[in-house]
Amino acid sequence: MEALSNQILVAVTFTFMAASVLYLCHWAFKSKVFGWAASGVTWAAFAVLTLAIILRWVASHQMGIGHAPFSNLFESLVFFAWTIAAIYLIIELVTWMRAIGAFTIPLAFLAMLYALSLDPAIKPLLPALKSNWLIAHVITCFLGYAGFAISAALGAMYLATGQAKDPASPRALVLDNLIYQTVVVGFILLTAGIVTGSIWANSAWGTYWSWDPKETWSLITWLVYASLLHSRFMRGWQGKRMAVFSLVGFGCVLFTYFGVNLLLSGLHSYATGKS
Amino acid sequence: MSQDQPRKPPLEKIWDFFASVKLSFFLLLLLAVLSIAGTLIPQKEGAAAYVRAYGEAGWRFISALGLQDLYHAPWFVLIMALLAANLVICSLNRLSLTLRILGKDPAQEAGAMRKAKDSFNLSGEPGTNLDRARRVLERLVGPSAQAKDQERTVLFAQRGGWSRFGVYVVHTSVLVIMAGALVGNFWGYAGFVNIPVGQSVDHMTLDNGQPRPLGFSVRLDKFDISYYPNGMPSEYRSEVTFIDGGKETQKSSLIVNDPAEYQGIDFYQSSYGNDLKAMEVDLVRDGKKQRLTLKARAINQLPGGAKAAIQGWRERVEMGAMYKGPVARILYQEAQGEPQAYTAFTPGVKMPQPGPIKFEIVKLQTEPYSGLQVKYDPGVWFIWVGCTMMVAGFFIAFYFSHRKVWLRLGPAGQGRTRVEIAGATNKNRLGLTRLLSRLAHELGGGPKKAE
Repeated sequence: MEALSNQILVAVTFTFMAASVLYLCHWAFKSKVFGWAASGVTWAAFAVLTLAIILRWVASHQMGIGHAPFSNLFESLVFFAWTIAAIYLIIELVTWMRAIGAFTIPLAFLAMLYALSLDPAIKPLLPALKSNWLIAHVITCFLGYAGFAISAALGAMYLATGQAKDPASPRALVLDNLIYQTVVVGFILLTAGIVTGSIWANSAWGTYWSWDPKETWSLITWLVYASLLHSRFMRGWQGKRMAVFSLVGFGCVLFTYFGVNLLLSGLHSYATGKS
Repeated sequence: MSQDQPRKPPLEKIWDFFASVKLSFFLLLLLAVLSIAGTLIPQKEGAAAYVRAYGEAGWRFISALGLQDLYHAPWFVLIMALLAANLVICSLNRLSLTLRILGKDPAQEAGAMRKAKDSFNLSGEPGTNLDRARRVLERLVGPSAQAKDQERTVLFAQRGGWSRFGVYVVHTSVLVIMAGALVGNFWGYAGFVNIPVGQSVDHMTLDNGQPRPLGFSVRLDKFDISYYPNGMPSEYRSEVTFIDGGKETQKSSLIVNDPAEYQGIDFYQSSYGNDLKAMEVDLVRDGKKQRLTLKARAINQLPGGAKAAIQGWRERVEMGAMYKGPVARILYQEAQGEPQAYTAFTPGVKMPQPGPIKFEIVKLQTEPYSGLQVKYDPGVWFIWVGCTMMVAGFFIAFYFSHRKVWLRLGPAGQGRTRVEIAGATNKNRLGLTRLLSRLAHELGGGPKKAE
């Protein structure tokens, strides 16, 4: 079953690639057919990815080391792709702006591609990782990361499609509002992720905050988005500034996620691809 | 802005400085940038590690600024205190404004209708439509107030005014969390105990190395490690008994992620190992062996006036093909002579030794122990209350808005009523637009559908 799940994950990766190409075609040629095809393929990829994650969960139980599939870099990347697709599909259902897919679904594809380069074996959990707070922590963090990823994709779209030239156009206003909405979702979930992480740390290590690099970088990311929200609420920052800010914020998210594990050392060392 | 700005009293100037959002913005980003520095420079290492990495001059620079423990450096704490002050003063400044907004007399607000966003005609005189309009408005928005505008009537209703407090809930939560950290810092303590199986301790070792009485005893009844089929450890478990005044008062089972609490003090499974009680060694001199038993953590008086102590030990080291086994560092002093350190291995090992004698390890007397993290933190509940407040505050601040709605009913001639709708909100204009079009729809104005 583990092998089946892994094979499905390979297929999902290429399905996300196909969906990315279709969304890009839809955006480039303004073609409805490509748009419908892209949505169909993405929904299929999302459904099958959900199945693969469930299979992996079941497989771990059959191996006698059952745990939720959120325990290492491989599993987190797969889940990250899932959260990006989930949040994007919600936005598509609400706004019917399929061009957004051309900027967001490639991120899901890249996350899956990175996952495929890692060891997919299901491994038993270290004692420190055996906690329900871990599951809550990973789910909230990665939904938050996905919110930020999509806000950055929207920011890139805002800049790439030249909305800054006419920030009062309906399309520019909708994009600006979506950037704000996704940042808010990301911010609330990142906060919840930091809180559940603290609760977990408190029960595993006896301290809710130890300034380890991963924690500190999540705080840095939080501070950057807190400044973004204050600049919008108190100074009325919109449009191009919001778009650039969302890209900077996502840079911090990426460093928190990957950079800390690759470049710095700390308690989160089990979240690396090694061992 | 007043003309005579420079003549503001200094206190007011300080107040204005702390009330500025620019300052919050600056402090938030400053904290972010400084925190980055703390993740690039390894924290809380020994001086030697810094000298190795950055050189003597680099270490002097680091220690002068306190960069080796950046997050507890006075200037870092000061910046956090400034942020707290900024938060308090900013919030107090805004709070008076918020209270003024919420304290407005609804009847007066009814008389200050905004620009109409929508208008349509209804059949029937205004007098007959007024009651129905009021019912719809009160159902969709809230209690209404009324004002006269010449021959027309204005109805006013609002909802979600309380959501203006969301931002203060969030700001207060930050202060509560900071207070929790301070309480923990001043009144809390942390350290560890290593308890050999079957024994009990009544002191803990604080993180700074000082002993501290627990006020009761903890006995380790059992320590267990279970393994996965592939050999990885799956669980560490310590069974402990708390003994208070000579009586067994509580039995607890500790595993990683599931600590035990006794009298407000938390015990966490954190490590395990073997503790050295004593070591049997052979003192080898000119091929002759003398068997000695050296106690750990003691200066051992040896026959003939010599002294020996175990400085350090490892149960097992692996030096490639050269050696696998225990190693000890023994400090030895002849009756008349200088103390000299020897590294001891098991017999038969060819290792260079300083001097005419050497030590050989015969037997280690060890006993297993369980290492427990011990913590008392009265501030931790502030943290959880603060975190809950923060998340709840976010939902209020981001997803609820204060909406005001006006309906103006006047004669439109031919026995018809002219209805005009206006609205105002402090955020989420899209939501207000939907509310207004739903209101228009329910009043019977035009083909607009409620979204």
